[in-house]
Amino acid sequence: MAVRISGAQASDGHAWPLLSPKAGMLFVLLLALLLLFLLDIVLGSVPIPLESVIGILLGRGAEHPAWEKIITAIRLPKAATAVIAGAALSVSGLQMQTLFRNPLAGPSVLGISAGASLGVAVVMLASGGAANAFAIRQLGFGGSWLIVIAATLGAMAVLLIVLGIAVRIRDNVVLLIVGIMVGNITISLISIWQYFSEPEQIQDYLIWTFGSLGGVLGPQLAVLGAVVALGLLVSFSASKSLNVLLLGENYARSLGMSTFFVRVSVIAATSLLAGSVTGFCGPIGFIGIAVPHLTRSMLDTSDHRFLMPSCCLVGGILMLACDIVAQMPGTRTTLPINAVTALIGSPVVIWVIMKQRNLKSSFS
Amino acid sequence: MNNSILQTRDLAIGYPAGKRLGMSGNRRSGNRSKIVAEGMSLELREGELVCLLGPNGSGKSTLMRTLAGVQKPLGGEVLLSGTRLERLSARDGARLLSLVLTDKVLTGNLSVYALVALGRYPYTGWAGNLSPRDEAVVRHAIETTGTRMFAHRHLGDLSDGERQKVMIARAIAQDTPVIMLDEPTAHLDLPNRLEIVRLLKMLAREQKKAIVLSTHELDMALQTADRIWLMRPVDAPHGERKSSIVSGIPESLVLDGQLEQAFRRKGFEFDLHSGSFRFRHDAERTIGLVGDGVRAYWTRRALERIGCRVVPGTAVPQHVVVAGENGTGHWQFFDGSTRNPHKLQALSDVLTAVGVSASSGEVVR
Repeated sequence: MAVRISGAQASDGHAWPLLSPKAGMLFVLLLALLLLFLLDIVLGSVPIPLESVIGILLGRGAEHPAWEKIITAIRLPKAATAVIAGAALSVSGLQMQTLFRNPLAGPSVLGISAGASLGVAVVMLASGGAANAFAIRQLGFGGSWLIVIAATLGAMAVLLIVLGIAVRIRDNVVLLIVGIMVGNITISLISIWQYFSEPEQIQDYLIWTFGSLGGVLGPQLAVLGAVVALGLLVSFSASKSLNVLLLGENYARSLGMSTFFVRVSVIAATSLLAGSVTGFCGPIGFIGIAVPHLTRSMLDTSDHRFLMPSCCLVGGILMLACDIVAQMPGTRTTLPINAVTALIGSPVVIWVIMKQRNLKSSFS
Repeated sequence: MNNSILQTRDLAIGYPAGKRLGMSGNRRSGNRSKIVAEGMSLELREGELVCLLGPNGSGKSTLMRTLAGVQKPLGGEVLLSGTRLERLSARDGARLLSLVLTDKVLTGNLSVYALVALGRYPYTGWAGNLSPRDEAVVRHAIETTGTRMFAHRHLGDLSDGERQKVMIARAIAQDTPVIMLDEPTAHLDLPNRLEIVRLLKMLAREQKKAIVLSTHELDMALQTADRIWLMRPVDAPHGERKSSIVSGIPESLVLDGQLEQAFRRKGFEFDLHSGSFRFRHDAERTIGLVGDGVRAYWTRRALERIGCRVVPGTAVPQHVVVAGENGTGHWQFFDGSTRNPHKLQALSDVLTAVGVSASSGEVVR
């Protein structure tokens, strides 16, 4: 049956609202990302002038060969890793918050990171005395795949368990508690494993849990980039369905959406994104929860077609900022990235919630 | 021309074995399928507003879910636009039937306009971009429901009545010949309820939509429905509760006594004159009433409310005569002596003060 459309503008007054947020915001975010990317490369324990950095980036070389080495082999991959990790964790958090209809959902809360950690722990601790974290990293291409697969499988296992329970229990708070408990079980499995392991292995694992953006070099960066790109592709393609999921599953089904397909797609994407990043960089907390909230309030939209790319940008910006703080410019020490993300991020989230007060209206 | 848009044939609704929801953990009954109602043959026509009535637990929601294809029938079939429901693709189904549920919507930063636009989901491509026609349909839906002045606002900032209109606008934007609404007027005040019902009636009349709404509001259903589907619990063997359904125009369901049977409870009675249920007061005494018109009607209401059984005439010792014209009139209360209160309030006070006097009271249990 066709709807009759009244040709003339029926009632004037308000203009029709725009469905898409202003494109200018995305441009500003992109600019900020590029600026912070540059800043992240310029700042570090060894002071390198800005002109030399730009010269090296443009392939013109520098007066000190060591500087070129520092920039291309250390700082550039680290900054790239920061952007990739930030984008991946943010997008996985965004999807989980929509799927679970819960503002506190995120890779670190629902035990996804813990699952990935278990996968990594299995590889690290089971591979015997000789093989430690650095040994695996030195394996290059093959070893990095091993880490990614182990972490992704670990993440997926936990997510499947949580989602399996989610099918039976439709209460969000209960589900959240279940997720945290599954995470705890995973962590305790790791503890037991650690208890029976050699001190050196435990130390390697502990260092890994502090999180680091610095260890992803060359071929590993390519692997991480490829896996995250795949995960983002799956996520982006689910945007339309995630929008409908905001209405709840019953409405989504009545609109002809396959909830099964969307669930599978979100599980797969989240496992790939959070799993691979956790595998390479360690369990990085907070970003996955905070960035979607920040992005929503900044763009004032809930359209995932805009939220997805924006989350990538904001996640990258935040991760770069955290990395700049973590390397404590001018000093020779660096802080663990995991501590910095929580230290900087948590107050930001509290501030956003206090200011916008939209968390409750968003999810209640 | 047969303009029937939705039909059921020998439909049985309920929950299949082992899939019972609930916290009871009753394993014995959980292993058998639970039939809520069976043998239902219903028909829904274009341009028709059907109210689904029935007491709590009679299976209204189950029927709605089954007709909407959210839940599988236990037997029989549902034909939507002539095609069996399970043969329709999800997308085709979504182009034929839209739902307005009581589910809380995860509002986020969703603006009214964006929410209504989600109704176009079954028509847009993989990216979900709206074509000019999609946008025109969305705007038309917003205009129709009178929600344009808050089209830019967030869903969380709306009142309950406004939000319900927006959800109806979303269903209109879905552009389906059938719209089903689950208790659309619950939690709304009277003006909002009337507005919603007027809107639905208008959609049925002017846009030839077939509308089914479940409700607990008998008055409203009797006044507006073209047809009523009445579900009522019947006793089945083995102490199970099942429901049966009857379909008919409101007035005939009242006259047949079907409505009264469906909702019968202790302490209530169905008033055939007003078409509504009211408290059955346990009468302490009998009072005669003489008079007619509006004043007599409200006098009767007042007497019943304070616990009197009202009979016409002056045969009983205590009786009230409604005297004079409306506005200038007074009441005469006879109780051995005569009193002439000028306000109904005063009459009520007198009656309360006198109570069941020993001299005249014919005490009715």
